[in-house]
Amino acid sequence: MTDDPELQEIFTDPGHQEVVDLLQSGRPATPPLDPHFRSYLRAKLMTEAHRTLPRQARRSWLGLGFKPRTLALSMAAVAAGFLVVLGVQIYLHGGSTEMGQPVAVDITKTINNKSDVSTAAEPIRIPFSGPVDKNAVAESVVIEPATSVTKQWIGSTLVITPTHALAPNTTYTVRLQASATPAASTPPSVKPTPTAAPSPVVVHFSTVRPPIPPVTAPSFASSNVAWVSDSRLDKSGTILNAVWTGGGQLLATRPAGQPGSAASATPSATPSSSPASGSATDVWLLSQSGTPLLDLAPGASLPSAPSTPAVRMFAAWSVHGGQANLEVRDLQGNLIATVATIKGTPERAAIWLGSDRLAYVDGNGTLNVVDLHGNPIVLPHQVKVSRGSVEASPSGGLIAVDGVEGPVVLDLAGAPAKPLPSGATGFDWSAKGDLAFLVQQPSGSDLYVAADGKQSTRVASSPAGQTWTDLNWAPDASSLLLATKPADSSSGAPSLLVVNRDGSNVVPFGAHTEYTAPEWSPDGNLVLFTRRDDATGGVTFQVATVSISGTNSAEQQAIAEVDRFMKARLAGDRSGALAELDSNGQAAFQSSGAPLTSAAGSTFDRYYPVTVQLTRTTPSTFLIGVRTFIAKPGGAETSFVEEQLMVVQQDQRYLIHDVQASPSQPLSHGPTVVSVEVLQTPPGQQIQVRFDADLKAETVTNGTVQVKTQDGTLIQSQVTFDPETHLATLAVKLRPGTYQLVVTTGVSDINNVPLAQEYDAPLVISR
Amino acid sequence: MPDGFEERELVEHAKEDPEAFGALYDRYFPQIYRFAYSRVRDQSLAEDVTSEVFFKALRNIKRYTYSGHPFSSWLYQITLNAVADHYRGAAGKEVELEEGADMPSQAPAVVDEVVRRDRSRRVWAAINQLPQQQRTAMILKFSEDKKIEDIAVIMGKSAGAVKLLLHRGVERLRRELPPQLEAEVGVP
Repeated sequence: MTDDPELQEIFTDPGHQEVVDLLQSGRPATPPLDPHFRSYLRAKLMTEAHRTLPRQARRSWLGLGFKPRTLALSMAAVAAGFLVVLGVQIYLHGGSTEMGQPVAVDITKTINNKSDVSTAAEPIRIPFSGPVDKNAVAESVVIEPATSVTKQWIGSTLVITPTHALAPNTTYTVRLQASATPAASTPPSVKPTPTAAPSPVVVHFSTVRPPIPPVTAPSFASSNVAWVSDSRLDKSGTILNAVWTGGGQLLATRPAGQPGSAASATPSATPSSSPASGSATDVWLLSQSGTPLLDLAPGASLPSAPSTPAVRMFAAWSVHGGQANLEVRDLQGNLIATVATIKGTPERAAIWLGSDRLAYVDGNGTLNVVDLHGNPIVLPHQVKVSRGSVEASPSGGLIAVDGVEGPVVLDLAGAPAKPLPSGATGFDWSAKGDLAFLVQQPSGSDLYVAADGKQSTRVASSPAGQTWTDLNWAPDASSLLLATKPADSSSGAPSLLVVNRDGSNVVPFGAHTEYTAPEWSPDGNLVLFTRRDDATGGVTFQVATVSISGTNSAEQQAIAEVDRFMKARLAGDRSGALAELDSNGQAAFQSSGAPLTSAAGSTFDRYYPVTVQLTRTTPSTFLIGVRTFIAKPGGAETSFVEEQLMVVQQDQRYLIHDVQASPSQPLSHGPTVVSVEVLQTPPGQQIQVRFDADLKAETVTNGTVQVKTQDGTLIQSQVTFDPETHLATLAVKLRPGTYQLVVTTGVSDINNVPLAQEYDAPLVISR
Repeated sequence: MPDGFEERELVEHAKEDPEAFGALYDRYFPQIYRFAYSRVRDQSLAEDVTSEVFFKALRNIKRYTYSGHPFSSWLYQITLNAVADHYRGAAGKEVELEEGADMPSQAPAVVDEVVRRDRSRRVWAAINQLPQQQRTAMILKFSEDKKIEDIAVIMGKSAGAVKLLLHRGVERLRRELPPQLEAEVGVP
């Protein structure tokens, strides 16, 4: 019988009520959805919203989403001294007034001589000394690179305001025609005195060099990972299990009836018992600090969430009358679909395969896979599982199963199952697709890693017979957390260790106390774990704050080396520049024809880094693309060259080891690429390409901004473009290797001026 | 789900703040896409309709005024219009049933579905065979959990008319579904 009074009122007939109950007991299958469509549409909408909605309220609602670590690194980069470069030149030629007097612009009241013009959309003020034809002057304003502006007169000052932030590292030119006021009082019969066309007012200025963002995710190598502090999510027994969402919140099973705050006492429970087997439970959304946000699924338990942040869904079991439904809901708690029903009480959460399938073990111990419509996916082999581990690779194509007939890796594409070493269990897949597992031996535990889930290698063993459990990969797959228990449990409490991917440098993580079940948060700032509560004997869920040290010092050293090298070149100090090259670098410069210092009759005026990429870690090797502007002595810049400098750590310092130089390119008025950045966004990457001009958004597509393999094969990508920041973002999935970014001349600015010439840059995806 | 005040505040912010509009999008995308798909039964069309709905909402949000109904009602209204516009532009593609028409000849396929799938799936599959207005009301009530008053606003009908559509829809399911289900639901 329905609980909905509206339906109770309409449907009093038992036959109708049965149909209503059937309708309410299930929902239509989740419609198929391209996983990229939602974010694609959002990007388009936000672009339009930023264009059409008033500007004054921006950033007033949701705030800026800086992550502390990102901000800190950015500030560090600022402190490193990446400053601006060019001054502002204002060339003024007046028009004339109706009285025949020249119109002047008072340059002392402009941005004249400012050498660090902010990229913020600050007004450019042009004060006039006399009356001018305001409409004509305003209409004559042209800015290059193409930039959308609003124009407004305040008294005799023309205020030109860019509609959004300017591009960094860019020289802008503002031109306008200082037309005199029309001689309105001149009698029609009197023919105006012809005057020479006034010369344009021309303003040049350059924008700041921005901080260089970190090129690598923080390294979670074991030597860098440090426990800072921990805090309890809630009282013992009030959280029965918990997992991270892809977006960094927590999904927790809590006993039914918990209040929306963390203050109430409840009966003790342990995470090792199946919450679904006890009394009623709810699945809650919690903040990182454990604040209950929303009771997402009353009556449900054992939640699991996909790792992709954009897929804001989760799965959980809901037990009713001897059977359990596997339900998929969004993070508002709305039921999307019931994808499976099993007899009995589930003992484990469902496992997400990517973001569109789920694996679960039914009451018979059989492993099943369904899509989000509830349609079964046929497995290449039927697998029975008792209590063994089951984990899916990040793409969802492989499942490691500790089945009753032995541990295997199942390939959903149909390839034969790959057997794993006998006793393999405790699986965990890294974001890069490596499988880690444990084999318990009489002498202790062996830790194995199988790259891409294939060839497994024993990388470490517990040194004194300890039992290792609870493997969990760090976000960058460079290390693993695990729980260790002494061979003689009476001699010490279980605790956590962190170990590098290659088994090296096994170090304690946190204090020696009863810590188990560690799980990194998606952003790597926190670790969720459990701890025995001495007071109650139960288990509490806690979150540790983690410090990552030494993460980008290598990058900073490499950039500093390039800065020394480039400053010597800009100063014409050939011997100083040579001192920054190793022997291979010197030979490379000779053979490439790239001049170390400027040729006679020109100067190297300024430079800035366009790309910074980590290509190897042993030794640390960076590929840094620098753009150097060439000017006539004391004159304006006329061209630029771009060089890819390979910078390699040698002993205690970095040196330039190789160079690839592009031909000199004349500066033109077409849009230009000013930065390229590769972001690791497991399971793929984002290539961010920033331009200096306002572009026609429809010209920025995966046909004009491409990623290719070295043999020219086009890589499938999805391109979004934010006109506000001139930023094109390509979502790609690239294996480690070298690729080519190509931006074609099909990209054009809002004035239909195309990219001056095709832009090519290497992209290196390192492991 | 958001309470009314918080939602109204967000909507007011969204009239001037792109980020707030983005938050509305994040909140309502799933249900609008789901509803669009339930009407057009085609992924590509559902994407087109959803895109059109949110762009229309963006263009017109300044004119939106709170009328006592959830903001989502307005989005559902736009969705219905977008679906109708689509079918007007592609006349003849939608199979529209008259109120009094028999269930379509595909009924045996539904029977097959009934045999294979669980009970609720069978009923939901049958909903897709209802006439358009009944189907819309049934989806909004049973899939989207809308109040009758809100459904009335979305569909531009009176609450009484919505009740009638629901009653007819349920009655039709009860009366015309294949025998297996009839047996299960206890219909003689």
